[in-house]
Amino acid sequence: MKRITALSAALLAVTLGAQAHAQSWSLATAAAPYKGTTIKAIFLDRPGYKAAAQLIPQFEKETGIKVSYETVPYESTNQRYVLDFTSGGGADLVLNDVVWIGQFVDAGWMVPLEKFYNDPKLADPALNVKGFFPVLLDSFGTWNKKIYSYPFDNYSGLMYYNKCTLKAAGFAGPPKTWTELLTKYGPKLTGNGKYAFALQSRRGETQSADSFMRTLWLSGGGLIDPKTFEPTLTSAASQKGLKFRQDLMKFMPPGVVDMDHAEAVAAFNNGTVPLLTEWSSFYTTIADPKQSKVPANCLGVTTEPLGADGLKPALGGFGLGVNSNSDAKHQAAAYLFAQWITSEKMAKPYVQAGGVSGRQAVYKDPAIRAKYIFVEPMVKSWSAGTAVPNFRPRFAEWPQISQIVAENGTKIMLGQLTPQAGAKVIDGRVKEILTRAGYYSGKKAKLQ
Amino acid sequence: MHTQKRITPFLFLAPAVIVLAVVGIYPLLFAAWVSLHTYLLAQPNIPHDFIWFSNYLTVIQDGAFWGSIGRTLFYLAVALPVQIVLGLGIALMLRRGRWAALRGFARVALVIPLAMTPVVTGLIGRLMFNQEFGIANYIQTTITGNKVGIEWLGNPTMAFAAILLLEIWQWTPFAALIFLSGLTAVPVEVEEAATLETRSFWVMLRQIQMPFLMPALTAILILRTADILKQFDMVYTLTGGGPGSSTELINLYITRIGLRGAFDQGVASAQAILMLVLTIMLSRLYIKYLYKGDDA
Repeated sequence: MKRITALSAALLAVTLGAQAHAQSWSLATAAAPYKGTTIKAIFLDRPGYKAAAQLIPQFEKETGIKVSYETVPYESTNQRYVLDFTSGGGADLVLNDVVWIGQFVDAGWMVPLEKFYNDPKLADPALNVKGFFPVLLDSFGTWNKKIYSYPFDNYSGLMYYNKCTLKAAGFAGPPKTWTELLTKYGPKLTGNGKYAFALQSRRGETQSADSFMRTLWLSGGGLIDPKTFEPTLTSAASQKGLKFRQDLMKFMPPGVVDMDHAEAVAAFNNGTVPLLTEWSSFYTTIADPKQSKVPANCLGVTTEPLGADGLKPALGGFGLGVNSNSDAKHQAAAYLFAQWITSEKMAKPYVQAGGVSGRQAVYKDPAIRAKYIFVEPMVKSWSAGTAVPNFRPRFAEWPQISQIVAENGTKIMLGQLTPQAGAKVIDGRVKEILTRAGYYSGKKAKLQ
Repeated sequence: MHTQKRITPFLFLAPAVIVLAVVGIYPLLFAAWVSLHTYLLAQPNIPHDFIWFSNYLTVIQDGAFWGSIGRTLFYLAVALPVQIVLGLGIALMLRRGRWAALRGFARVALVIPLAMTPVVTGLIGRLMFNQEFGIANYIQTTITGNKVGIEWLGNPTMAFAAILLLEIWQWTPFAALIFLSGLTAVPVEVEEAATLETRSFWVMLRQIQMPFLMPALTAILILRTADILKQFDMVYTLTGGGPGSSTELINLYITRIGLRGAFDQGVASAQAILMLVLTIMLSRLYIKYLYKGDDA
């Protein structure tokens, strides 16, 4: 009896203590020791960063911490980080792409966030990491069961469609499957300088992620076997995907192999294509009447078409973490910003400013669901059982593999290599890289 | 006194030598050292082991390296003669004659492409060669009446043509200005005397003007060859080396190996050292066969 009483008393004390902490904690108090500190960040020229930039003055006012950011083109960002980190410097806030986390953590460039969220002075009691979509926290933020960043700029592949053009061609809605897109929509919507669909395929991460990997997932194929890490591009399923993309090219604009996101979105906005698979974050650009000729009443957004294994949408985005090269003061200040901008409290203002939050709660708000038509398909795409955390392998070797995929993927599209020959080249190089890394000898754990 | 006299020249030379050593010789020696070691920037946990000539062997066996070398030499072989011929033509037209004000304007206008940074040139090129709304296709469709524009940047051959066009557009004025300055060395009385013998433009050019233009031609060849072999910014922003690897010149390839993906500085340094050897060889050839120094 005495034991039970003692345990109850201890639990009560912990609960009261936690409540007292929750009541006493404030961002201003937590930030007080770091007032006057300037933290540096790298941003991209994308809507999520413009949204964050609008909110930064609020953080600066509340904390006295200054956030200085530099906008860098996406394709140069990884290079910039690696060079900065190697020289012992770099931005205090680390913006890690979903496919860089393995590289950054392996090299010891990011601090595990437990250092901060276990510190009662820094940890916001309302942090609620379970409030993030699990797929986002797992893929952008977590490596080997440790959290290194909070999901900040989050993307799901979606299908944007022009209802009016589809209706005029006799379609009641967008294609439900990839096969339907190829066999029914493609032929009917292509002709007179117009095309059915655009798949952004420019050499770079756009080719590897948006074009090549999407093609593999839709056919049930893959780059490597998830258990053995053996390359699998020559498998029947992967080959089917690569051949499917070649067939689909008949219904895409001729220069699609050089189209980056901007060009693909422009093709949709100009009415050249009525169907486009693109990241959720481009909704603001596509829905902006100043940038798009597609009338608001004609714009539709849905999930990507179903493939061999059902809905396997593209997953991308960035987390915000902390640079291990920074000193303790800058690390703490950077953590406070990352925690604040990704918090549940800031999710709504972030979305309203044009960002895409990784918090589940904000998308339950009926006003948000009504205003942003991309929310429903995006939430569905991120739901358990649908989302694919390893849409691209996240290990340290991906940036190297991505270069090889980008080069040979575009060669396949151009017909310079057959899908079979291209697959053999990529498989050979992937095997070489993964062997050198030590995955097959057991020197390195098979994490992706 | 005697010692002071001997030291003074060294003191005058010292600043230049020190600067050269810091910005030129040290990086070169460091690159040579890196080329003999395992040096993966993105994997700091891997030690920088001395591996003899293993990186050079990797480069020599790499088909993509030779592919990009071949592409670069082809780019050089097309761009450089066109720049020289057009540059010489422009220089001869601007040298003298009527319309002095117009010629003055043209000389100033020649500087504009040169003043433009290659990155901006590449970005402007992306707009000019855009299939849907680029001016290149506007002109092409207006002239030919075709409804469908050329697929400039999505087609390997046309993408290569696009980088060549921009290269020629940007650097022909450089050749023109160098030739123009070279033509000022041709004595007027020699030309006048020659006109008594012949009215032929070609004879005048070959027998009278060209001997005076050889130093200018050698300078253009050496400078433009070195620059073209180093070409990066414009092509990177215009095509990124694609589609496929159709516009991946050697510098883009070296950058891809050394500063992207694997960040393999060892192999990239070996590639850069080999490129340096190639550049020096080409320069020596130009000097040996074209430039006779004071004999010109």
